[in-house]
Amino acid sequence: MLRKRIHKIPLLVMCVLIAATLVIAGCGEKTVDTSKSVFKIGAVLSLTGPAAPLGEPEQRALMLLEEELNDGEGVDGHKVEFIIEDDESQPEKAKAAITKLINQEKVPAVIGSSSTGATLAMAPVAESSKVPLVCCAAGTKITDPVMPYVFRTPPTDSMAIEKVLDYLENSLKVEKIAILHDANAFGTGGADELSQKAPDAGIEIVARESYGSTDTDMTAQLTKIKGTDAEAIVVWGTNPGPASIAKNMQQLAMEIPYVGSHGIANKKFIELAGTASEGVVFPAGKLLIPESIEEGSEWRQAVDDFAQAYEDKYNMEIDTFAAHGYDAGLIVTEAMKMAGTGTDSQAIRDAIEEIEEFVGIDGIYTFSAKNHDGLSADDLIMIEVKDGDWVEKTS
Amino acid sequence: MAGRKASRCDVERKEEPLKRAQRRDYRTLALVTGFILLVPAWAWLLPGDVIHMDIVNIMVFAGIYTFVVIGLNLLVGYAGQISLGHAAFFGIGAYTTAILCCRFTWFPTWLGVLAGVAVAGLIGWLVGVPVLRLKGHYLAMATLGLGEIAVILFAELKGLTGGTIGIPQGLNVKVSQIPALSIFGFDFDTDLKLFFLVWVLAAVVMLLSINIIRSRVGRSLRALHSSEVAADAMGVDTSRQKTRVFVLSAMLAAFGGAIFAHFQRYINPESFVLSVSILFITMVVVGGMGNLWGGVVGVITLTFLPSIIQALPYWIPGVPSGLMNFSNYSLMLYGALLVVFVMFMPQGIAAGLSKAAAYGENRFKQLRDRAGARKYEGH
Amino acid sequence: MARREVSRKTLLTVTAVFIAAVAGLTLALKGSTGLQWIVSGLTVGSIYALVAMGFSVIYSSTRVINFAQGEFSMLGGMLMYSIYMRAGLPLPLAFLVSVLIVTLIGAGLERATIHPLRNQSVISVIIVTIGLAIFIRATAKLIWGSEPVKVASFTGDKPLRFLGASIVPQSFWVFGLTLLAFVLVFLFFDRTLLGKGMRAAAANPDAASLMGISSSTSSLVAWTMAAALGAAAGIVIAPINFAYYYAGTMLGLKGFTAAILGGLGSASGAVVGGLLLGVLETIVAGVFPSGYKSAVAFVILILVLLIRPEGLLGRSEGVKV
Repeated sequence: MLRKRIHKIPLLVMCVLIAATLVIAGCGEKTVDTSKSVFKIGAVLSLTGPAAPLGEPEQRALMLLEEELNDGEGVDGHKVEFIIEDDESQPEKAKAAITKLINQEKVPAVIGSSSTGATLAMAPVAESSKVPLVCCAAGTKITDPVMPYVFRTPPTDSMAIEKVLDYLENSLKVEKIAILHDANAFGTGGADELSQKAPDAGIEIVARESYGSTDTDMTAQLTKIKGTDAEAIVVWGTNPGPASIAKNMQQLAMEIPYVGSHGIANKKFIELAGTASEGVVFPAGKLLIPESIEEGSEWRQAVDDFAQAYEDKYNMEIDTFAAHGYDAGLIVTEAMKMAGTGTDSQAIRDAIEEIEEFVGIDGIYTFSAKNHDGLSADDLIMIEVKDGDWVEKTS
Repeated sequence: MAGRKASRCDVERKEEPLKRAQRRDYRTLALVTGFILLVPAWAWLLPGDVIHMDIVNIMVFAGIYTFVVIGLNLLVGYAGQISLGHAAFFGIGAYTTAILCCRFTWFPTWLGVLAGVAVAGLIGWLVGVPVLRLKGHYLAMATLGLGEIAVILFAELKGLTGGTIGIPQGLNVKVSQIPALSIFGFDFDTDLKLFFLVWVLAAVVMLLSINIIRSRVGRSLRALHSSEVAADAMGVDTSRQKTRVFVLSAMLAAFGGAIFAHFQRYINPESFVLSVSILFITMVVVGGMGNLWGGVVGVITLTFLPSIIQALPYWIPGVPSGLMNFSNYSLMLYGALLVVFVMFMPQGIAAGLSKAAAYGENRFKQLRDRAGARKYEGH
Repeated sequence: MARREVSRKTLLTVTAVFIAAVAGLTLALKGSTGLQWIVSGLTVGSIYALVAMGFSVIYSSTRVINFAQGEFSMLGGMLMYSIYMRAGLPLPLAFLVSVLIVTLIGAGLERATIHPLRNQSVISVIIVTIGLAIFIRATAKLIWGSEPVKVASFTGDKPLRFLGASIVPQSFWVFGLTLLAFVLVFLFFDRTLLGKGMRAAAANPDAASLMGISSSTSSLVAWTMAAALGAAAGIVIAPINFAYYYAGTMLGLKGFTAAILGGLGSASGAVVGGLLLGVLETIVAGVFPSGYKSAVAFVILILVLLIRPEGLLGRSEGVKV
């Protein structure tokens, strides 16, 4: 189904351009059959504040999806409208935004938010209002334990950690590692889980240090780690911290392998760290290296088409966050199609749990009553920075 | 203008001015409370897809912040002591009740709120006694530092506070959200119920504050503000008064924070950072320092402002859809409006409004007089 | 007054001895690791010092704390990215153009928003600077996006190594600018008539106007200087810190902290405060669990203030009756 839609891309792009011209002309009207009611879908994303680099691509992807749907057949012939709210990267704003979307805009389903804290703040509202929430955040605690109305698109931190431990144990064959993590929710959550699971892989954590999200010099923590017998360093955080760490390690002539998190899975890391990024290995979705997906498969096609449409519309490369946002939109609209309704929250929620082998950009989704994470660790690969670009790291 | 003043003096001669002011405050309080409690009625009349705001939800936020801002106004506006760390007390209130109620499911939530207030009062006293010796920007810096330390402790004392993951998910507990506030078996589990609770309590706090500022304590506070040395010389125990107000404001902030926790049902350190402290002080100044009503006006203005800005494109027909998701512009507009407010109403919105009202009244009188004069001439 | 001077000198000595003792102890106990901490701390500290001087300049002439000071540095870094990295202008020219633009913005903002409030309370003006900070940040995000950008180091990235410690060449640019800025600010306020007059204008506007310096001119000059200083700081630290629209918040907070620690309103206070804060943070991060780094730094700051309520090198303003 997805493929069918996406084959029309060049045509769609033209329509998009025409529509955009109309919009700019101040008309604001879209060339879609309006006899049927509009299906509204809410979205709360971090468009400003520290998590904005996550929320912005998600927003772009959703707006792209909206255009694609409405220039095609919509959802069962209904026009789709994403109502996007900004949570300013603050949990209380996220909660206020979802309350407004549900109470005032009467949306049957909500997408978001971009970060774990904001999502956890939204979850109680989704639960008590019985409205499905499909989030774009990776924190393990969001779906563990499973809450009936909370779903997730991106690969979880757990999956990334599994991948990293597997790499440390089987490819690098190290026994002692150091962790250096951002003191925020993402970094601390990852470090906690890593420390918990490492012993099972026969790996000992010899040092665990943290840094503030806006810190720019981590040499103190690194010299501490240098003084231990760590054979590798795992850095858990999002830009720009990990880039500073790579540069500091180069400055201190630390030669031990640098293993990053999926938080650095965009090209910014390479741009910021420069030559210091060479040899850094991190887990990420396969979409970053489409060649790693089987040629001719439905998934590969979806990724290529999405990348092309995104590039055409925004003149930017796709990143993992764009994929999360796009997939969240796809999952909700797919559930609407399956349930045959664009208004009944309960039916949409039930339909999400029925989704099976559904091809998105991040991977192939299968939900169930017990599993609200659509993806699995198999959808991730390890990527190495080589000559200023990404290559798949195969063991 | 002169005429007005004279007539006011006449009345004041008959009645003690303080009493009169107090009575005026009571009347305003009754009016304002009545007006606010009616908000859900007309919010209900305005459908959501027309105004694109959740007025009741925003008003709950405003009510919660009102506690903090009333306390902060007593401290900043009346006693003249600046604090850039009140989000810490807000957080202490929230964390105390959240931890107690999530760890011990039998723990009554209202007792959790009171515990939060008590803990914040104690901590406020412990840090207030030494820190209040500082003055001006140095006091601001010290309170800012205390606020930052509190946020770091919220994030780092993982066993107690659930760290950056927050409560309840970061704690090893069975509950999946912080329980709703419950008083004598009545659950305040919807925005509407909380709205009434919060604003009735806010009215009570306001009543108490009016009495405080009109009392001897209030007079010595104002003396403190205008000149600490003079107040000292007049026999006001300045350091004791300062500490008292500081503790009171800490307790009020904690009270707001504790209700905030039961309203949010989930908390993490991000809700108690420096920018929140700055927001509180901004509410005080934008509304009107040293004017309790000003504080309330400041809270309501600044809580509604972002929502109004975000709803703007929906209100104006024919806005290109590219502007619909315009979070960048909305923050710019927010910053610009903040500047404009202070520039045009440096004494606060409340004073600005009453000045405008007085101007309007005068103008009206002038026009009336002129019209009367013309009529007279005509005859 | 004389006694005050003596005690300041004593205090300087005490501070110097204390710093030397901490440094010596760290070196003795940790060897090259300790040296690395001090070197890194000095780099970070110089960054704080540069921003702190901007705070000082505005404070000593208007008594206002400018919460938008960090945003000037952010703008400097961002403009440098556009002009130096994207447009490809030569380094010195790009530097000058960036500083000039931010200076004009600073002066313009002062005339548009601060000047009209000249007769209002200091706290109103401070809230206006908070509004300005939000506005500048949002505008920067609109122009440059939310992702950090890279500004290339002025003279390469090859670290210099000595005695087991290492330092990146850009750090020397930061040291150099800090020194230059300090000398210029110091000379301006202590040796020029305008500078002295500006300080007097803050303390006593009437007396200053007799000297021919109005508080209005004083405020304009101070904001212009602070914007230029902030921009220059943002530009030299961009290759170390990266430039992004949110960077001003952290810089502002640290700069304010450093300015208070050293004592508001004196250039030497800003430098001492900045360096001390930077070295402290780094040593604390090295010795304690690093999550508590900022907390320990703030505890020390509060302790310093309790012992010396006007900051390390600040002048007690006397009590106003």
